[in-house]
Amino acid sequence: MPEWLLKDENYVPQGDKDTFINKSILSLLGVLSRIRAQGGYKTDRLAVNPTLKVGFTVLLVVLLSISRSFAFVIFINVYLLAALCLLKGEEILKILKTSFAVAAFTFIILLPSVFWGNYYSICMITPKVFATVTAVNMLSHSTKWNAITGAVKSFFVPDIFILVLDITIKYIFLLGEFSLNMLYSLKLRSVGKNGDKYTSLSGVAGTMFIKSKEMAEDMYSAMECRGFTGEYRRYQKIKFTFADFLYIMIHMAIIFVFIYLERA
Amino acid sequence: MIDLKDVSYSYSGIKALSHIDLHISKGEAVVLMGPNGSGKSTLLKIINGIAVPDSGVYRFNGEEITQKKLQDTKFSKLFHQKIGFVFQNSEVQLFCPDVFDEIAFGPRQMGMSETQVQQRVDDCLELLSIQDLKHRQPYHLSGGEKRKVAIACVLALNPEVLTLDEPMNGLDPRTQRWLVEFLVRLNRAGKTLISSMHNLEMVQEISRRAVLFDENHTIVADCPTRDLLEDMDLLKKVNLVDEYYHKHDGSGHSHFHIHSSPFHED
Repeated sequence: MPEWLLKDENYVPQGDKDTFINKSILSLLGVLSRIRAQGGYKTDRLAVNPTLKVGFTVLLVVLLSISRSFAFVIFINVYLLAALCLLKGEEILKILKTSFAVAAFTFIILLPSVFWGNYYSICMITPKVFATVTAVNMLSHSTKWNAITGAVKSFFVPDIFILVLDITIKYIFLLGEFSLNMLYSLKLRSVGKNGDKYTSLSGVAGTMFIKSKEMAEDMYSAMECRGFTGEYRRYQKIKFTFADFLYIMIHMAIIFVFIYLERA
Repeated sequence: MIDLKDVSYSYSGIKALSHIDLHISKGEAVVLMGPNGSGKSTLLKIINGIAVPDSGVYRFNGEEITQKKLQDTKFSKLFHQKIGFVFQNSEVQLFCPDVFDEIAFGPRQMGMSETQVQQRVDDCLELLSIQDLKHRQPYHLSGGEKRKVAIACVLALNPEVLTLDEPMNGLDPRTQRWLVEFLVRLNRAGKTLISSMHNLEMVQEISRRAVLFDENHTIVADCPTRDLLEDMDLLKKVNLVDEYYHKHDGSGHSHFHIHSSPFHED
């Protein structure tokens, strides 16, 4: 054993800024915990077939964007807020925060048009943006990602495209965990003044690149070993419940209201 | 030295540690045992200041470790110098262009002269018998070599406490044997060792004290390793022993079995 290892280190560290590492760790933790939370999520209040949810959310967004009726836009906003009440309090808060933030941003951007006498844009576009963001967020909060990717199969999206989506989500998580541990390690080993922070960070990025290449190669080999020939089939179990029926009825009513108000 | 009182931790609402009380004195060697997902790695993260307890108190050398204190860079850097962490996956610890720079990363930050750094790196390379890897790129090394380089990087900081997360994972039997002997030498040299493990093969050789976790993320035993290995009922309860079918003198039978342990139960 070398002599220095037998003694306690008499070390007084110099101050140094680790803001970049700390912020990167926090943002990665945020992304990973969101993906984890998605994995553990169980819909019990908006337990509707994901295919219907995806289909009608897209339809709702399309109807909102082509509508010229202020009454319809307000009607949809009221409907979405009522549907939002079915989710958990924590989720309602998250969804509304995003919706209000995006709507407020739109409002500020459109504000100059008011001074030129154009009230129509600000009155129509702001609630349309609010409703669109709310609808999409409700879909993402009440449906697992793999259920969403699976649901797009019903819209004639090629299976191979769904496979690529699934793999992308999986690898965002795996590489995210790996990079998080690398940043932890960099933080634990940064015990003094690092004058060359960017070199260390580029080392982390380089290792990440090698790791992702290795993982891609491993997956390619594994898929070949499992007999993958370029064809991928996503199987779906179709169940139709009373909640699905109710969901369809509500959206049929929305389509009816849209036609009625647009004609008026 | 390390003192945890009623510490609990959870990941996004999923419980990882529940009401942990643990005291580790300077110079001790402690092995954390338990099945997968029982909270061993989380406890090591808390001890290293990567995670902060949701409730309870963690003290290191009498000083409470809190998020606020860890945000103070001087305190945080001194704390991380005193506790070294070898990750379960050694790959995440290696980000420099070659092994020399990797080991020199810590000493250079500690403000040592280049001669001292050179000396320290050479000592570490010799200690871990990896002199021939000095100019190799870390990502081209084998699993065992990566683990040795990761240990060398941590040792170069001369920490008072060395924590290792599943250090035997993925190593061949010869490297495992080497690592056991190396850890025993380090402990004899005065280093405090905390290592997590879930196979019982070499626990007895590394430490005299074992802390056992169960699937409820609590400590169910904190006792001499030998006593724990004799408590077959408890080991069965936490899924650390399994039943093997094998033959003795031509007749086949199965029984619970601890690897390399003399204790069998038929």
